[in-house]
Amino acid sequence: MERQLEELRKQFLDDLEHIHKSEDIDPLRIQYLGRKGRLTAVLRQMGSLSAEERPRMGALSNELKAFMEQSLVAKAAALSTAQAATGIDVTLPGRVLRRGTIHVINQVMEEIQDIFRNLGFAVASGPEVEDDYHNFEALNMPANHPARDMQDTFYFSKGILLRTHTSPVQIRVMESQGIPVRIIAPGKVYRCDFDITHSPMFHQVEGLWVEQGITFAHLKGVLYEFARKCFGPDIPLRFRSSFFPFTEPSAEVDMGCIICNGSGCRVCGNTGWLEILGCGMVDPEVYRFVGIDPETVTGFAFGMGVERIAMIKYGIDDIRLFYDSDLRFLGQFA
Amino acid sequence: MKISYSWIREFVDLDVDAATAASALTMSGTEVEELAHQSVPREVVCARIVEARRHPNADKLFVCMVDTGRETLQVVCGAPNTRSGMMSAFAPVGTSLGPDMQVKKAKIRGEESFGVLLSERELGLTDDHTGIMEFDVETKPGDVLTDALGLEDWVLDVNVTPNRGDCLSVIGVARELAALFGRELRVPSIAVPECAEPIGQALSVKIVDTLGCPRYAARFLRDVKIGKSPFSMRRRLFQSGVRAINNVVDITNYVMLEYGQPLHAFDSTFLAGGGIVVRRAAQGETFVTLDSVKRTLRDTDLLICDHEKAVALAGVMGGENSEVLPTTTSVVLESAFFDPAGIQKTSKGLGLSTEASYRFERGIDPGMQVDAANRAAYLMAVHAGATVLKGVIDENHLAPSGRNITLRRSFLEKVLGISDFPANDVELIFRGLGCGITAGDAGWTISVPAFRHDLLREIDLVEEFIRVYGMDKVKPELPMFRPMDGVSPEKGLKELRVTLAAMGLTEVITYSFIAPRWREYFGKAALELLNPISDEMRIMRPSLLPGLLAALERNRKLQTRDISLFEIGKTFHPKGQGELPEEVRRLGAIVSGNRFDMHWSEKGRTVDFYDIKGVAESLLKGMELKPSTHAHYKALCQADVVLDGAVVGSMGCVHPDILAMADIEDDVYAMEIVLEPLLRRQWKGLSDIPRFPSTWRDLSLVAREDVPYADIVRTISSLGIRDLSQISVVDVYQGDRLPANRKGVTIRITYQSPERTLEDSMINRWQERILNVLRAELDIELRQ
Repeated sequence: MERQLEELRKQFLDDLEHIHKSEDIDPLRIQYLGRKGRLTAVLRQMGSLSAEERPRMGALSNELKAFMEQSLVAKAAALSTAQAATGIDVTLPGRVLRRGTIHVINQVMEEIQDIFRNLGFAVASGPEVEDDYHNFEALNMPANHPARDMQDTFYFSKGILLRTHTSPVQIRVMESQGIPVRIIAPGKVYRCDFDITHSPMFHQVEGLWVEQGITFAHLKGVLYEFARKCFGPDIPLRFRSSFFPFTEPSAEVDMGCIICNGSGCRVCGNTGWLEILGCGMVDPEVYRFVGIDPETVTGFAFGMGVERIAMIKYGIDDIRLFYDSDLRFLGQFA
Repeated sequence: MKISYSWIREFVDLDVDAATAASALTMSGTEVEELAHQSVPREVVCARIVEARRHPNADKLFVCMVDTGRETLQVVCGAPNTRSGMMSAFAPVGTSLGPDMQVKKAKIRGEESFGVLLSERELGLTDDHTGIMEFDVETKPGDVLTDALGLEDWVLDVNVTPNRGDCLSVIGVARELAALFGRELRVPSIAVPECAEPIGQALSVKIVDTLGCPRYAARFLRDVKIGKSPFSMRRRLFQSGVRAINNVVDITNYVMLEYGQPLHAFDSTFLAGGGIVVRRAAQGETFVTLDSVKRTLRDTDLLICDHEKAVALAGVMGGENSEVLPTTTSVVLESAFFDPAGIQKTSKGLGLSTEASYRFERGIDPGMQVDAANRAAYLMAVHAGATVLKGVIDENHLAPSGRNITLRRSFLEKVLGISDFPANDVELIFRGLGCGITAGDAGWTISVPAFRHDLLREIDLVEEFIRVYGMDKVKPELPMFRPMDGVSPEKGLKELRVTLAAMGLTEVITYSFIAPRWREYFGKAALELLNPISDEMRIMRPSLLPGLLAALERNRKLQTRDISLFEIGKTFHPKGQGELPEEVRRLGAIVSGNRFDMHWSEKGRTVDFYDIKGVAESLLKGMELKPSTHAHYKALCQADVVLDGAVVGSMGCVHPDILAMADIEDDVYAMEIVLEPLLRRQWKGLSDIPRFPSTWRDLSLVAREDVPYADIVRTISSLGIRDLSQISVVDVYQGDRLPANRKGVTIRITYQSPERTLEDSMINRWQERILNVLRAELDIELRQ
């Protein structure tokens, strides 16, 4: 019997050696230690032993039983540690849902709109195909006015054209809702010009505030506020006198170059300034066109190119990229 | 317009540098686009060619001994005007004349050369390269060239706004600077040396059209010797980008730049009858201009004629038949005022814009004609040896156009929002600009000179004041305001974009104009541009799909195949003649390739109709699809989108012909929906969250192939089972195990009551009713 126990120990160790999964431990335990297990079977022979042999064999078999139990526990522990190490490859890529992007021009346009809504401006719109009256004449640019040469116009017929600026919305809004008025009008505009800095289609945001008591100082205040919110708190502006037929006095607004901080670089043409918008006090003639007595109100208007703002913000140097639909470009504005 | 700073300073004493002056001009509305420094290296000196002998080994070269003031050097020179005794410009070895031009010691055909003698072009002074430089002023060997000729200079490229014709001249710009820096403008008066012969005996002027030409002044000059203009004049013309021709023509250009008054010189021997007649052209009349182009005129064009023929296209360009030639000896000098609108019409009509027409269009000084003629006559006497006949012809039909305008202090303050400016500044500013000003109780009366035809109203004076006073002196001020109430109407649009992007679609913006060939698919009546950038951009898009397809094609060429794009923009639909078209905001989307990025764990799936439909369904609750027959979609793979009974869009598989045209091999699915319903969102009130459990049953049905799923849903819904909360489709299959022309559809019906837990017996009864109605109305059986 002693030999039998010895044999059982060997076989147990051999079987244990061949176990690689923790699921296989319980069957092994049952095989040896279960009610019908092999060790149990050996112990059943105990009754046939002599009384003097019985205590020794009892001790031996108890010792083997304890050994087997300990070994199984140790093996289980070892296996569970090993299994944790080879579980899943967490470094394989997860299931990422492809995200699209909103066009950078619309992102910038939304940002501009948000800034002006917070300054109390409502959003207005107008047609992209305009008539000569709203695009030019009512903005104090009669036929043959040299200022028309500043804007190369796309025509459909003599009096119908693609708007060259968002300014006709000024006229339409004052015609339909009178004053006071405080709006911005974002939208597409068109000029027949096509190169690295000109696109035949581009976007503008027009602004108009007409109300009793509005002054040039207010125009400056609103535009400073815009620049602060759009480009940062310490951005310097300068107002350069200029000419637009529908505002007087008129100004072009330059912003301190954000690339060189005003020290002069290629982007700002070494001037330290970047032109960002045109503005001015609404010309009295424009009030006459919409039937408002110019003595009763004052107001300001401004217009900015959205592409220009986007190009400055993101360091883009070719306007055509916006309309190329190249996903390698568009995808960068996520 | 380019003009040099040294020229400007002849008319105003400025103690500021060119950059400061340029910046002041820019800030006051006359933008200086570029400020270019010009100089010659100080190593370049005046030198005398002591001796010039023929090069022993080269016919066209000279070997010169050159006195540089410090030493005498041997220099080899190839200029044809090289001669002993002449003074010229010399650069010694080591002088840098440009990035790639270093003067080196050289051996030319065996003769050593210790420097170079230079032409005006090599020094960047003019474009003259006919020979080495010669001086028309006194110099001595060793003089630094730049100092001796005053070559250190700046050129201002001035962008004059269309309202400021008066600034299109050196004097005009000088006047601005005088006002900006509080200096005096000095325009010297001109004393023309005249001979005894009165001009009336040599020339007569008759204006037939006094509207087109309200003023015509003329001078007559004899004994003119045509030659080269003096260096200083040629250099200024060069700085201004005007080509030097000969002394007479150069002087007309020079005075035009200086005074802003375009002048024209005729060779008087070509003027038949000794008289000038100003008249309208006959419709269809032809005329050959100086540039040898035969032009057909309209009856609105104005001509300068002699007693037989036309000799100049008034205000635009002279005629080939009367131009000043090297043989010219007598000259008629024209200094006129033409109607700006008339000149503009002619210039536009002929597509011919010149320095003269540009100035006439913008309105020149109506008081300048005689002064400019005198200035030119004087210069011709000095530089062309001309004898000036006595007197000026001045046919003047202009009404005096100076005016008085009141400027109220209250108005100034009301517009500008400032009140802390000194009244004295107002007076100084307007005086500086050449206006008269008198102060009154409430403001000023300002008398505006004739050349400022842009100053007509009180507001014009406000602008004059602030642009000179300085806009930077106005303190920014935020007016009282209240941020906008409520939700921005654009918020829906923003959310739509965010949703689409989150669904994996990228937004593009494509041009609103497309190629005319798209008419074949989207209808003939598209709006067409008269002057498109190119034929590919000729018609206004009636649909967003051509642009989206072009974007898809472009990205496929860039080797991307899995593409999902959207665009939000307007389409254009013509209405009646002379009416503005209808503009409709739409959302367009297009998908192709794999809908989702490939993942290692599963096989990818290319898009199909239900991908694009899914995009629409997740945006537009309650939409239905109805079969459609659009030309741009594949037949039987397309549908109209119907919402509340109205068609609001369409979707489908893009027609293979279109894809072939764009070289696209994969299937492409697209949709286009009117934007407004997508933005409409109404809060319908809170609904109760169900408190009782729901139960679902699957039904495996066998239906005829042509029974649409929507009919099954509609038929079941027609039973009006209140506690039926949802019908969905689990599976659709076709195959051998089904009878011919039959398909299997497994649907899941979910029941839920707001009031109780539903019992099986009840559900079974409903299921029974459903099967009965499907059997009766749609010939649908339960699958065995």
